[in-house]
Amino acid sequence: MALDSSTKAVAAQRAAAAGPHRGGHAAATVRRVAGKLGSLALTLFLASLLVFFSRFLVPGDPVSFLLRGRKPSPEAIAQVTAQYGLDLPPWQQYLNWLFGALQGDWGRSLQYRQDVSTVIGERLPVTLMLVVMAGILIAIVGLSAGIVASLNKGRVLDRATLIGLTVLSAIPSFVGSIVLIAVFAVQLGWFPTFGSGEGFADTVYHLVLPSIALAIVFVVLVGKVTRSSMVEQLGREHVEVATSRGLKRGTVIRRHVFRNSLGPILTVSGILVAGLIVASTIVEAAFGIAGIGSLLVASVDRLDFPVVQAIVMLVVTTFVVVNAIIDIAEPLIDPRSAAGASAR
Amino acid sequence: MSLLDISDLTLDLPNGTRLLDGISLGVEAGETVGLVGESGSGKSLTARTVLGLTPDGSALGGRVLVDGRDLVAAGRRDVLDVRRHAAAMIFQDPRAGINPMRTIGDHMTETLRLCEGKSESEARARAIELLTAVRLPRPEDHLKQYPHEFSGGMLQRVMIAGALTSSPKLLVCDEPTTALDVTTQAEIIRVLVEQRASRGMGMLFITHDLNLAASICDRVVVMNKGRVEETGDARRVFSAPQADYTKRLVAATPTVTGSAGPVIEIRDASAPATSPVDAPGGDAAGPVPEPVAAPTPLERPDEASAITVAAAPADDEPILAVAGVSKTYHLRGKPPVHAVASTDLRLARGRALAVVGESGSGKSTLARMIVGLEEPDTGEIRVAGRDRTIVPKSRQERIAHARSVQMVFQDPYLSLDPRITAGRAIEDALRLHTELSTTGARARVVELLEQVGLGAQHAQARPRTLSGGQRQRVAIARALAIEPDVLVMDEATSALDVSVQAQVLDLVARIREERGLTLLFISHDLAVVRRVCEETVVMRYGEIVERGSTVELLAAPQHPYTQLLIDSVPKPEWAPEPRRAEASA
Repeated sequence: MALDSSTKAVAAQRAAAAGPHRGGHAAATVRRVAGKLGSLALTLFLASLLVFFSRFLVPGDPVSFLLRGRKPSPEAIAQVTAQYGLDLPPWQQYLNWLFGALQGDWGRSLQYRQDVSTVIGERLPVTLMLVVMAGILIAIVGLSAGIVASLNKGRVLDRATLIGLTVLSAIPSFVGSIVLIAVFAVQLGWFPTFGSGEGFADTVYHLVLPSIALAIVFVVLVGKVTRSSMVEQLGREHVEVATSRGLKRGTVIRRHVFRNSLGPILTVSGILVAGLIVASTIVEAAFGIAGIGSLLVASVDRLDFPVVQAIVMLVVTTFVVVNAIIDIAEPLIDPRSAAGASAR
Repeated sequence: MSLLDISDLTLDLPNGTRLLDGISLGVEAGETVGLVGESGSGKSLTARTVLGLTPDGSALGGRVLVDGRDLVAAGRRDVLDVRRHAAAMIFQDPRAGINPMRTIGDHMTETLRLCEGKSESEARARAIELLTAVRLPRPEDHLKQYPHEFSGGMLQRVMIAGALTSSPKLLVCDEPTTALDVTTQAEIIRVLVEQRASRGMGMLFITHDLNLAASICDRVVVMNKGRVEETGDARRVFSAPQADYTKRLVAATPTVTGSAGPVIEIRDASAPATSPVDAPGGDAAGPVPEPVAAPTPLERPDEASAITVAAAPADDEPILAVAGVSKTYHLRGKPPVHAVASTDLRLARGRALAVVGESGSGKSTLARMIVGLEEPDTGEIRVAGRDRTIVPKSRQERIAHARSVQMVFQDPYLSLDPRITAGRAIEDALRLHTELSTTGARARVVELLEQVGLGAQHAQARPRTLSGGQRQRVAIARALAIEPDVLVMDEATSALDVSVQAQVLDLVARIREERGLTLLFISHDLAVVRRVCEETVVMRYGEIVERGSTVELLAAPQHPYTQLLIDSVPKPEWAPEPRRAEASA
């Protein structure tokens, strides 16, 4: 470590001697972003291999599912096999699938006899809506809980918040869903129990309980990360310096504590995105919402592999892209990360 | 009316611990008052009460009058008012004290815009004016930069300029130069003194460095364990201290001028200091062989000056030979850093060589290469005739490597495993490198602990129950356990308080005397080096700029950089210890 600091000191001296050089900065930024995009493409490519070929590991034959209820003749089997391109060697099937997918053609659903893109397109909006509403809830409740707890560190309010969060984290989303339905939909009758409604306002109304059920576990995560990140920043000397200069406490918290604790919060939020989509399967099933989650469950059940592959790729892509954006945006929050210096 | 008037200040934590006990001090306009003491003396806490920065839940008593307002009884508005108009504070580490995620311009203009309601352009103009006043070159260019693009010295200027934005009447400086190199320290002090004079501010200057306090303060307040030990005119306090504690502190402080006879003087000075700081085991340091009969080489200046020549015939192969060693770091997107550039060193058995330099001089990299923690790019390092540049492949080679050179690191709080007892740490080294049986190793551990002034009872202690000085003693005992050919100490006393530092230096001197230890002593502190080493090399930007006997090098430096280093060490205008100077004459 001693070495680290001394070499950094040398670098800093030289940098100071050289003065500001904006041109080099821009080039470095372009290089960094290009690097991130490259690794993003590679990740997606590897994920596509995994997603596609894992089908061959799954027991069960899609053709027999397609022809269920009938006594298929060998000709019929051959015809169906050829129609879905299942007679080609696996790598050929992969390439066809990949290039189709790149153009938005994910193949045909075995179950619905429709294009996969149509099947997913019908169900995507409601899931997006659910995830966005849950995300807003998580941000508001999680951040407030974390901030309130950190500002009262060690006091009753902090302990109460921590205990509350811990209790909430122990509730699985299906239990949460059932409790919410029982209390707010059945007993109090404030919200509908089932479905996703018609039109924007009605959809929001229908999705209130599901988004609460979905948000619970993630509120806990965001709350705890916010609290620890804020507590860490509150102990920093620059916060004391800001206080000593006569800034109001609220200003100090906003400009120096919260702003500086955003890094870990955003990192965790990026990881949460995948979890949210996956967890939405359970909540959608519990509330009878025809979204991506319930579609995924049904498709896995019926070996509707084109749909499964498309949904999994969609989740993977969302996750990777969101995290790449957070990565690329990091220097906007912490200018040191662009310089490659370790965050303090 | 005084600018700052603290009387009978007490501070208690909620758990009943009294951290400040009856502090009284005052600062007049235009006056600099030093607040000196060691860690835990309460000097920083006292300074923080001036700005109402006390720990949560602590109870204050007494009076802290800042420009006529009592902060002990003040409401929130009054505290804000004092912070905005009456007093400002400069903190120790500018890298920690300026928000790393905001620009320098934001730091400078924040209070102007948010507290004084100035417009963006007004605030900017004021910021540039103040940055120019603290002699930051090209302030306009720097406003958009972030703290990590600045050196420590530049950042401390920003911190000072930031504190001046409110045009305070009282400036509180909490160790403002401790984290900086000695040449940078001299520049920052110049800026502070200049600003204080031109603005007629009062200054409360907190430091652990008596030489620094003596060189800039009109009056000093000496604190120890939450109490004021002594108050008075700076010259009087340092040249004729009244309180026992001040006497010990003055005696333990190394200087670059005055008498050169280190070892004996340290012992006299630090012997009384040992007992209050250390646990009872510290007394084991008491029965030291009387050294007066065995003069150290340094007491014979003629021999000391001829070291390099005289040592050669006594020992054909030096125990440590560094030849043409270089190390360059390639950081992505940055020009390569030549940490060490073709460096030569020779150290004869039983000698002590100091490597002196500021941060970034490559002194630590050199030490790490000698120990084997880094691999040199080119060149050869031989210890006791064996090549050390080859990376050890087998376990035996690695152990042989470690055996011949041991290192004592800077921070004993980090270099000892918190979960392993002191005795176990030493025992592990013995087990690894020697054939001793369990009982044999245990006996040797006690022996080693006694050698470093600790006792058998410390063998069971975990590091957290030991004081800083005790920990560093354990680290030294661990390094000495296997009798290495060379002991490397990398800034091994710079994290310690002066009285503890004196004990550790004393210990090293004694062990050298008794066991003929060969020592490579890395330090930024010329005064410390002077107490320990016969020979010194001065490094800058990875190169050795000057080498020679310590006495000569300090008395008549040849290289301008060495001269600059010596000149930068704070010295009061008057001789601090006339008796010492007399002795050396």
